[in-house]
Amino acid sequence: MHQSSSLLLFTENQLQIVALIFMAVVYSFKIRWILRFPAARDRQAPGSRVSINATNATSARRGAVVSLMQVATPWAMASTRSHPLLYAGFAVFHLGVAASIAMSFLIPYAPAAIAAPAAVGILQAVFAAACLAGIVRLYRRIADPHIRAISSPDDYFSLALLVVWLGLSLLAAPNRPERAEWPLTAYFLATAFFLVYVPFSKISHYIYYPFARWYLGRTLGYRGVYPLAGS
Amino acid sequence: MPQKRSYKAGKVVDRLKQKINRQAMLSLEACVHCGLCTDQCHYVLANPDDPTYAPAYKGDWLRKLFKAHIDWTGRVAPWWVGARSVYTDDELEELKDVVFGKCTNCRRCSLNCPMGVDMASFNRIARGLLVHVGVMPEGVAVVAKDQWEIGNQMGVLPEDYLETLQWMEDELRDEYHDPTIRIPVDKQGSDVVYTINPREAKYDPRTIAEAAVIFHFAGENWTMASQGWDMTNFGLFNGDDELGGAVASRVYDAAERLGGKKLVTSECGHGFRSTRCEGPNWARRDLPFPMESSVITMLRYIREGRIQVDKTRNSEPVTYHDSCNNARSCGMTEEPRELLNLVATDFREMHPNRAENFCCTGGGGAMSMSEYAPRRLKSAKIKADQLRATGAKIVVTSCHNCVDGLFDLIRHYKLDMEVKLLVNLVAKALLVPERPVAPKPLAGYRILVIDDEPDVRMYLGKIFKDQGCEVQDAPDANQGMRAIRSAPPDLITLDLVMPKKTGEKLYWELKRDEKTAHIPIVVVSGYASIDKPRIDFHGFLAEKNLPQPEGFLEKPVDVEKLVSTVQEVLVNHRGGGRE
Repeated sequence: MHQSSSLLLFTENQLQIVALIFMAVVYSFKIRWILRFPAARDRQAPGSRVSINATNATSARRGAVVSLMQVATPWAMASTRSHPLLYAGFAVFHLGVAASIAMSFLIPYAPAAIAAPAAVGILQAVFAAACLAGIVRLYRRIADPHIRAISSPDDYFSLALLVVWLGLSLLAAPNRPERAEWPLTAYFLATAFFLVYVPFSKISHYIYYPFARWYLGRTLGYRGVYPLAGS
Repeated sequence: MPQKRSYKAGKVVDRLKQKINRQAMLSLEACVHCGLCTDQCHYVLANPDDPTYAPAYKGDWLRKLFKAHIDWTGRVAPWWVGARSVYTDDELEELKDVVFGKCTNCRRCSLNCPMGVDMASFNRIARGLLVHVGVMPEGVAVVAKDQWEIGNQMGVLPEDYLETLQWMEDELRDEYHDPTIRIPVDKQGSDVVYTINPREAKYDPRTIAEAAVIFHFAGENWTMASQGWDMTNFGLFNGDDELGGAVASRVYDAAERLGGKKLVTSECGHGFRSTRCEGPNWARRDLPFPMESSVITMLRYIREGRIQVDKTRNSEPVTYHDSCNNARSCGMTEEPRELLNLVATDFREMHPNRAENFCCTGGGGAMSMSEYAPRRLKSAKIKADQLRATGAKIVVTSCHNCVDGLFDLIRHYKLDMEVKLLVNLVAKALLVPERPVAPKPLAGYRILVIDDEPDVRMYLGKIFKDQGCEVQDAPDANQGMRAIRSAPPDLITLDLVMPKKTGEKLYWELKRDEKTAHIPIVVVSGYASIDKPRIDFHGFLAEKNLPQPEGFLEKPVDVEKLVSTVQEVLVNHRGGGRE
């Protein structure tokens, strides 16, 4: 049986735990910071549809739920309906990120769960597709003048970081340190860096966006807008 | 050495820290610059090569400020996260050009953002920061000043407003031949307090009249207010919550002062949103009365059978334009369609529609910013294409801003269309109910007026006709006698002083003849009075042993007295009524 190097063991375990704790601490400060901003209140009476043709009842709760679900309902918005490839890229990219995060826990703590060749194959396919989607997104950010005009160094760096990380995920997925440790070591080093960097970068949107969506949906639901009537 | 900041820029930065609430902060942090909002904006569609029109670019001005002054990542590594502050007045002017001149706050980008980032709110916040230091288009400043000072955004003076209402009331009474039609002002305890857009009082008073006639025939207990009648609110457009709260409070105060049970706004998208949704928040008031758009009020009237409509009166093809504020901020998309289908025969849907509809391009106060008109009209191409594709002859909307915006673009793009409000179509389709005719007091009688003065004959004749009787007249006693002999009337009014044969003589002839003696006579003369009858007439009656006439009236005649005297004589003479 292969005995992993101490560097690999450290990057798989202690380094990840430290990075996770660091991320949690930073996020706890961030949550306190968010709560310092006053939340606006809706004083007006709730809106509702009175037309006999209006089939969707609206409420703050329904609005919030519908709003949160929009990320998974590309037909619900003209922007995603009219750009199906972009939406597909978004879905694949984020699926890859989620899979890679899961893999960073499974390799050290439940390697058997992804040991089967089929599982490895699926993971590698997902990582490859996600990495490709990331490259396309990076290219689009550089090539499209509308997006280039609003892109900061953090936007480029965060995306490039994830592309590299997904590439390393692709290499690490077989989890065969006996063949070569460097893909795993590089993957876990990148994961740790990712965990530390995320709270300071735009990648934090995954924390903010559910709340942004929830507030928007709650307001629009309360006012009778969400769920939208069919177009 | 840190860059020096101008006074105004400093104030903008200070104000920013007060204006960012949790919703805005989360929205600012959630934007990932994905660019999916880009082609959802009508400005971008008309200017595809100019990235400065992109919603995320416009919103990024606020995000950069936020990063620079509120988010610590921007203070630690501003370049890295794209933080940028403002330092000079020129930068504020540049920001003004973006937030006022390149966005109508239509909110289409907000509803199409996968992250739920409310870009339109960013734009409104940025406008508010600039307005705080007096940086805004001149038109915006003028309108806001009017709303602060005069109480309505078009500077309509109270006397002009009240005169317009009176004028419309008079027109309606003439048009419908119904003296009971009213445009009540400051009526206490009404079920509906109706508020309008000052554009109606100034340029389109017919919409007030149309609403009034709908209220009238619906039997509504309604009123308008002499003060606090403008439900539009420029605070929504210029981002000034203080103005928004003050304007909304005026309307709420009016409703409370009048003891109104419900506040109804006329068709105005931003007015409805401001009054119904935003106003209570700006004014920090919890209101005891409900509010609704007149679109919903009219729909209720038809549904409840309070008014009847004939949709065939609106047979031209019509399409409907959703006002951004109604559709994307207040959810009013189905009610106008239901109403439109009730009052028009050929409704054609526009695509996209409802919350996905494109802006009329006149929203967000754009109509008051003439310097940006060329941009606005250029950006209206997508709307013009939408309209043209429907093949409709009329585009109906529920917003006065949209009416102006659409009117402009229809003219610019040479579309064969006209713009109407729903109230125009409802009023046109309105079936005026048959009014129960009150029985006229003299209906069925025939009266002969004998007087040598044409004006008197005409005057008395009109009064009697208005009371429902048939009238014949004669200019002298001889013609009077011939008329009596050919067809005896139910009553004669007789002037005493006439050339040739006097009234006295005729009276004598009539009373001595069995065939005519029974006909009641009311003397209407300058010389006749029941209390002080002319001596010779009195003596004449005594000398000839003639009965007193059934009535005496002195000229000039009081209408009510004439009618009541004649009615009394006829009733007494016939024993209680017409045979």
